This record gives sequence, structure tokens and C-alpha cells, in this order.
Amino acid sequence: MSQQIPQSPDHDTILRASIDRSLRHPVMFFFTSGAAWLAVSIILGVISSAKMHSPNFLACSEWLTYGRVFPAHINALVYGWGAQAAFGATIWLMARLSRKECRSAGTILTAGHVWNLGVTLGILGILGGYGTGMPWMEFPRFVWPVLFFSYTAIAIWSLIQFRLIPGRHTFVSQWFLSAAMIWFPWIFLTANVILHWLPGNPVMAAGINAWYKSALLLLFFAPVGIGTAYYLVPKVSGIPVQSYSLAKLGFWGLAIIAPWAGMQKLTGAPIPYWLPYVGAAATVLFAIPAFAVAANLLITASKAGAETITHSPTLRFSIAGTVGLVLFGLACVFLNLPDSSLPLTQFSLSGYGFELLGLYAFFSFVMFGAIYFIVPRITRREWLAKGLITSHFFLSIYGVTAIALVALFGGLQQGIGQEQFALSWSNASDRAYPYAIFMTGAWCLILLSNIFFFFHLALMWLRLGRRSSHPTLLDAGHHDSPHGPEGDIDNAGPLHSH
Amino acid sequence: MTFRTFILGLLASFGFAWLSVVVVPFFKMRNLEPLVFKEDLDGKEGIYHPKRSGRVINGAEVYAQQGCYNCHTQLVRPTYAGNDLFRADWGGLKDAGERGDTRRETNAFDFEGEKFAQIGVMRQGPDLANLGLRVETFYAKDASTTPEGWLYGHLYRPRHELAREKSNCPPQPFLFVEKRVIGNRSLDALPFESPEGTEIVPTDEAKALVSYLLSLKKDDAVPASINFAPAKKK
Amino acid sequence: MSEPSKKPDLEDSINVSETHERLVRQSAAAAREHSLGETASQPVAMWIFIPLIVVGIIAGLVFGSGSGYFKYDSTFREGYVRGKAPGEEDSGPQPKPALAAYSAKGAKIYSAKCNGCHGADGKGDGANYPSLVGSTWVTGETERFAMIILNGLHGPTSTGKVFSAAGMPAQGGGMTPEDLAGILTYLRNNLGNSTGDIVTVDMAKAAFDISGKRKNAGKQVDAAELKAEHTKNLPGDKLDPTTLVLPGNLAPAPAK
Repeated sequence: MSQQIPQSPDHDTILRASIDRSLRHPVMFFFTSGAAWLAVSIILGVISSAKMHSPNFLACSEWLTYGRVFPAHINALVYGWGAQAAFGATIWLMARLSRKECRSAGTILTAGHVWNLGVTLGILGILGGYGTGMPWMEFPRFVWPVLFFSYTAIAIWSLIQFRLIPGRHTFVSQWFLSAAMIWFPWIFLTANVILHWLPGNPVMAAGINAWYKSALLLLFFAPVGIGTAYYLVPKVSGIPVQSYSLAKLGFWGLAIIAPWAGMQKLTGAPIPYWLPYVGAAATVLFAIPAFAVAANLLITASKAGAETITHSPTLRFSIAGTVGLVLFGLACVFLNLPDSSLPLTQFSLSGYGFELLGLYAFFSFVMFGAIYFIVPRITRREWLAKGLITSHFFLSIYGVTAIALVALFGGLQQGIGQEQFALSWSNASDRAYPYAIFMTGAWCLILLSNIFFFFHLALMWLRLGRRSSHPTLLDAGHHDSPHGPEGDIDNAGPLHSH
Repeated sequence: MTFRTFILGLLASFGFAWLSVVVVPFFKMRNLEPLVFKEDLDGKEGIYHPKRSGRVINGAEVYAQQGCYNCHTQLVRPTYAGNDLFRADWGGLKDAGERGDTRRETNAFDFEGEKFAQIGVMRQGPDLANLGLRVETFYAKDASTTPEGWLYGHLYRPRHELAREKSNCPPQPFLFVEKRVIGNRSLDALPFESPEGTEIVPTDEAKALVSYLLSLKKDDAVPASINFAPAKKK
Repeated sequence: MSEPSKKPDLEDSINVSETHERLVRQSAAAAREHSLGETASQPVAMWIFIPLIVVGIIAGLVFGSGSGYFKYDSTFREGYVRGKAPGEEDSGPQPKPALAAYSAKGAKIYSAKCNGCHGADGKGDGANYPSLVGSTWVTGETERFAMIILNGLHGPTSTGKVFSAAGMPAQGGGMTPEDLAGILTYLRNNLGNSTGDIVTVDMAKAAFDISGKRKNAGKQVDAAELKAEHTKNLPGDKLDPTTLVLPGNLAPAPAK
């Protein structure tokens, strides 16, 4: 579909441009500070992964002891990068989908700064030895209300925008994104109020923490990723999403199944007997909405042709993220079978690998796709070098493949060793050793890939992007672009005559 | 899909699950009925109330802050969920002298005094549910130290003894201080080299943590209702 | 024509078409976007449902391995009994030589039931409670000894002395054959006695039978009855004191 730059203004173009313009500060802030936290998290991840096989690495520093650096890594990944990327993508997408400019950009930007302040204090708290000891909730007690109120300021505007005008069709993305924005505060509030305020049985507290981890992954990061992918794939390829019924199945499947998941991590613990089994079953069942979404998106993309997908950075990352979703769905099924694999994976590297598959292989890849799509629109510059994008892409793919292998094979191997009760414990830790090294290698690849990403994003942030009416495509450099002759974007000077 | 369907569907699907797996179990487990021993089944009467000695609250805090739960668990699973009970010294002791085999599953009363049961997420190191027993019965005796001394040594430099040379436990020298020796060496001094005239002693945090770790003994006799030993012989 | 320094504003513009053209040039990215079409309702190929159904079946199996759904009272599987370590021998107490195992059991019974009167050393107090050390009735025929324990004793003891008017109360209530075998063996081989033989569980079972068939069943025995009817050993096969048995139920250990 060839598009010449229209001679007369397109109403849609004006609307899109004005929406982008209104949101440029908060969205750019979320993406850049999110990317900065991703950098921090990856560095902490490399350090903690190295300590798993070389415990004397950086052992001099109290702040970097494994028990602190690993929670700091995970919390930075979840709240620093994951949440902020999600916020940036969500508010932009919700504004575009409801076709309304954002009037509260200032509030959202301030709230974003407050969120960052909370996360910073939290990470420093963990590294300084004030962590709470509850996985994914290690921030010191005072942080969570700060995060909660800042979230409210960020999300409430988008939620108010989501109003259905009768007769008007809501788009699939809107279901997932609005649902995520409703689920997140419910989950976050429940876990933090119960675990920090209400005294109760300590084992059940651990159970609710396990539920929280799973709920955050499946009911916040997953729907945001899915909603974003459902926008980007049809948008960039021009093909409408192919199946409404698969879309509905995906959404309601997720809504009904995912809230039950999580307690399989406490199989065998003295909580009501059936809770871990319903958690395991729900995690297995999550593969159904995962596969439904992936099938829908991949069928849609397949109609666009391989060239379109490989040339567009957005589509490459989004489709890779969709494949990541399939991988994540497979991991959900194979790692959580109570009679075979669950006793092996319950306390092994599999759990960590599984979380990373969801957070990185699926969610982060879709977010990268979103960033590559949205940033040119809000900075009105195009990405500078396709080499940087392809390096980011391939190195991340290699890293994520390594993580997938660790999760599926390494964790099982380690679990088998753990269950061999007749042998001494060193048998189990010896089995984990090569996979720990593998994991460090994976993190190094991801670090490398994201160095290219940060560098590129930083240049865009500094308005040093390419002034062009052509997008940066990952093609071999064809000269007859579908977008017509290349013009120049000129946003301050006089008009050029053609 | 109308807005109303959307919201109602969301509230119903999430709300039902949330009530069933989070709210109701939490409130039910808050008020657990204490279990009782019965004369005919257990040979004694009374309420089952495991007592823990040691600085459980302070020590649990240090345990959480240092992130020990990232590599150690505190859960002995029933045999349908794992092989923890088949290990000779995880659920208790296989041969505890007069009491015989004291190994048992973790029960809901075992984390008395703690706010958050450090069940754990990964087993890089062994399970710690009965660490107190293991240290007192085996490790300290093998190393000819006191149980506290063994734990201080392990925290300071996990790989100092041959049996643990492949351990991945991070050293935590920051839980200890170097003090000038005044008069005699203190009883807690660690047997590691330190500059002339000083000794390495544990800080209050280390003492609390070790006290907590030594309180980890979960092999006491339980009432018949949660005693799952195979058919008792009479 | 607008001046070079004046930046166009979306809200108010002077030259509408010029501003719009500039806008369109600035928002080239927005201009070239496809519009998001309505989701189509293409039919879904059937093969897509195969993995979904397979996942559903697997989840069903997972549901099946759990039980007691929505029951909050139990934190363990209903009917759970600890399994045996696969491929390992009994993880319970290790087999011991019979003499030691029987004596250990007997020692427990003794401290529970007997040492209150006969003393921890079995020597009694000389006045009210007879000594068991070196007593002929303890170290002599086993049936006589068993009857005393099961039914109690009235009147003079083996030394002829009467220690108390009421005599010894019966101790057989609540005793199992293993308990009786244990206490008999213990007293015959400890506290200064050393007959070197074992009263087996089978012999103890026979003792219960005999005790129940007594003419004065339920009443204490006395020296006369013991002399007349019970001065013999309990029927049953002898057991080599070095045989390995399981300490709990005193059953012979499985051959290994």
C-alpha cells in the first residue's frame, strides 16, 4: 500500500499528531527511565548470576551480597523497567484508542517521577539491608503506598477515557489494557495490605505472596503485553486482527483462569490442601489464552508477508514477543505438573527462568516493539541506525533462548538432583552449576543487546534522531520505498517547495 | 462487548477467585484451632504448641534482610509432594536415639513467632527447617566447636571447611567486627586470622541470626491428627 | 508566508492550509499510519483448537491430582500416610538383636509401671515391696512369672514373706503381648538377673490365654495356685537372643 504524503491534511493525522504531542513528556519519561532501570536491573542480574557459580565474586561488598543484589535485580526489573514500560505504552495506547488528547500530562509526569523516587528508595533500601524478605515485595514498608498513589494518578485518567460510546466498537487492546489497569491496583493493594498490615498465619502469608507474583505476571504484564501486541501488529501491517472469537477467548480465558494461579509454588506447604493444585491447574490453563492470542496475531501477521515483518522493527519485536508468549505458555504447561515436573521445578532455577520468560521473552519484546513504534511519533524523529536495532534484536533473541533452555532443562536437572535423597546435597548444586554459568552468559548477551538499545534511545531522547518522513526499516536498503520519495521533516523553518 | 458486560465479567471472574484463594483462606488460617494431644492416641494430654527458644523475631528479620530465602527453603514436603522426608536429616533425625525416627512434615504451627514463613523460592543450598538439629547433632560435633561457633564460621567464610569447599553460600563478613583483644579472647571469637591483637567477633545481628537458625527444629511430636507415620505398631 | 521563527501551533494558526501542510510534514509518521481496522471475523482453522484441547486435558489431569476443593480445613491430603523411601529399606528404627530390643521395650514398661513400687533398681524397699533382684519367681519358670504380672499376687512371695495385705495389683490391663514379653525378658536379664533367654511374643500371647482360663480369672494369684498350676515355662519356640528384630513390634527383621 503506497502512501504519498497527502497534500491536504488528513483529520486522522492531525488527531494522532495532537494526541502524540500531548503525551510526549510522560511517555518519553516512562520509556527512558524504564530503560535506565532495565540497565540497572541487567547489571545487577549479571552480578547476581555470577555469584551463583562464583560466590567470591565481589564478595567484599556488603551491598552486593547475593541475598540483596538478587532481590534488587528482580524488583528493578519488575517495578523499574516493567511497570514503567507498561505505563508508557498503556497511556499512549489508551489515548490513541479513545481518540482523545491527554489533558493531564503534567499530573502523569509528576506521578511518574514519584514512582521513580519510590523505586529508587526501594532499591537502595534493599541493597542497604532493609529488605522485607518477601519475594517481589522486598521494598521497605514505606515504599508501597508511594507506588500505589503514584499509580492511581497515572492510571485514573486513562480509565476515565475508556468509555464506550454506544454503537462504537471497542478495540481488543482496550479490553486488555483497561483490565490490566483495574487488576493491578486490586492485586497490589491486596498483597501489600495483607502482608504488611494484617497479622495472620505466616504460611498463608507466604502463599499470598506467591499468588501476588503470579498475578502480577499474568494479570498485569501479560495483558499489557497482549494489548500492546494486538495494537501494533494490525497497525503496522495494515491487516485487521483476523479472528474476533479468538480475541474474545483470549481475553475471557485470561480473566477467568489467571486469578487462580500462583500457589503451586507452595505445594506441600501447610496451606489448605487444594490451593496449590488449583494454582498448578490454572497456570497450565493459562496456555489456552496464551496460544489463542498468539495464534490470532501470527495468523494476522502471516497475511502481511514476511518482508513487512522483517523490515519493520516494531513487527519484528512484536512477533518475536508473540513467539515468546508461545514459549511462556509451553513453560506454563510443562513446568507445573504436580505428579511429575512440579516437585522438580518448585525450588529450582526453573522458577526464575519461567518468570524471565514472561517478563523478558514476551513482555519486554513487545515493549521494545512499542518503543520502536511510539518514540518516533512523540519525538518526531526517526531511529538513527538500523544496525543498532538489529544488534538489539538478535542479541536479545540469543539471550532469551539461553534463558528458555535454562528454565526448561537446567531447572529440571537441578530438580532431579534435589530429589535424589540418597546422594549428598552437593549432587544437586553440582547439577545446577553449568546452568548457572549459562544464565550468566545469557544475561551478558542481554546486557550487550540493551547497550545498543539504551544508546539508541538516549540519542532519540536528546532529539538527535533522524529527521525524515521515512521510518527506519531493517531492510537491505531498497531505494524504492513504499512511502514515496524521502522528504525532510522540518518543524521550525519555512516550507520547502517540492 | 458492552461496558457493563466487561466490568461485571471482570469483577465476577477476579472477585470469585480472589475471595476463594486469597481472602477466605487468609482469614480462616488466622484463627487456626489448636490441635490437642489425646491420651489414648498420643500417650499424653494437652494442646500442641511448639515452643521456640531463641531470638526468633530479630533473627528472622536478619534472615530476611540478608536474603537467605533466595537460596534456602524451610519446607519439608509430604511424600506426595517431594522426597524431602526421605533424606536422613531434613525433616528431623532418622535416628534420634530414644525417640527413634523423628522426621515429619512441616505443619501450620511451625512458624510460630514469625510474620512471614520463609518457605523460600529456590534450593541452591539445603533446606533449613531442621538446621538447629543438624548443627547441634552433626556439624558442630564434627568440627569440635559449639553450635553457635560453627554457624558463625559458616556465615563468615562458608568454604573454610573441607566438607563445604564447593558451597555457593556468599560470605558475610559484614556481620562481624574486628575488635581489639582486651585481656582474654572473647568466647565468641572466630578462629580466623585477623590483624595482630584483634579478634573477630559477631555483631548483634549475627548473634540474632544464629540464635534464630539454632531455633530451627521442627521435629517435635505432633498430635495424631497430623501424625502421618505409617501404621503405628502396638 | 509565515516568518521563519514562528512555530506553528496546533490550536491557533493564521494560515490554515499552510499550518496543516506543515503539520502533516512534521507528523509524517502519523500520516503514513494505517488506520486500525475493525477486528475481522475470519473463521478459525480447526487445527488451532488441538493444542488448546490438549492443554485442557492436561489441566484436567492436574485438577485430578488434587482433591478436597474448597475445603479449607485440611492442610494435608486426606488419607495421607507417609510413603516409604523408594528402593530403600525401612526408614524406621534399625533392627536390633532380640535381647536388646525386648529389654528396651521392657525397660520402658518397667519405668512406667513397676519402678514406682519396686524401685528403679528393682530392690524394692524391704518392707512393702519385694525385691525382684535374684528372685526365684522372676528368674524361674516363665509361666509363673507371667501370671504374677498379669494378675497380681496375694499373700507370701517367693521368699515366704508377706509384704502387704493387699498384695500386688494386676498389671495386665492394657498390656499387649509385646509389652508382656518385653517386661518379662527385661526383668529376667537386667537389674542383676541374667537368665540369658527371651520370653517371646508368642509365649506372651499364650500367657494371656492361660491367664484368662484360670479358675480364679480376674483375681490375684497366690503362692499355692502358682505352685500347683503354673510352675512351668510358657509354651512356644525359643528365640536366639542374637536374632535381629524390629524394635517396635519385636517382629523378626526381614532377611537382608
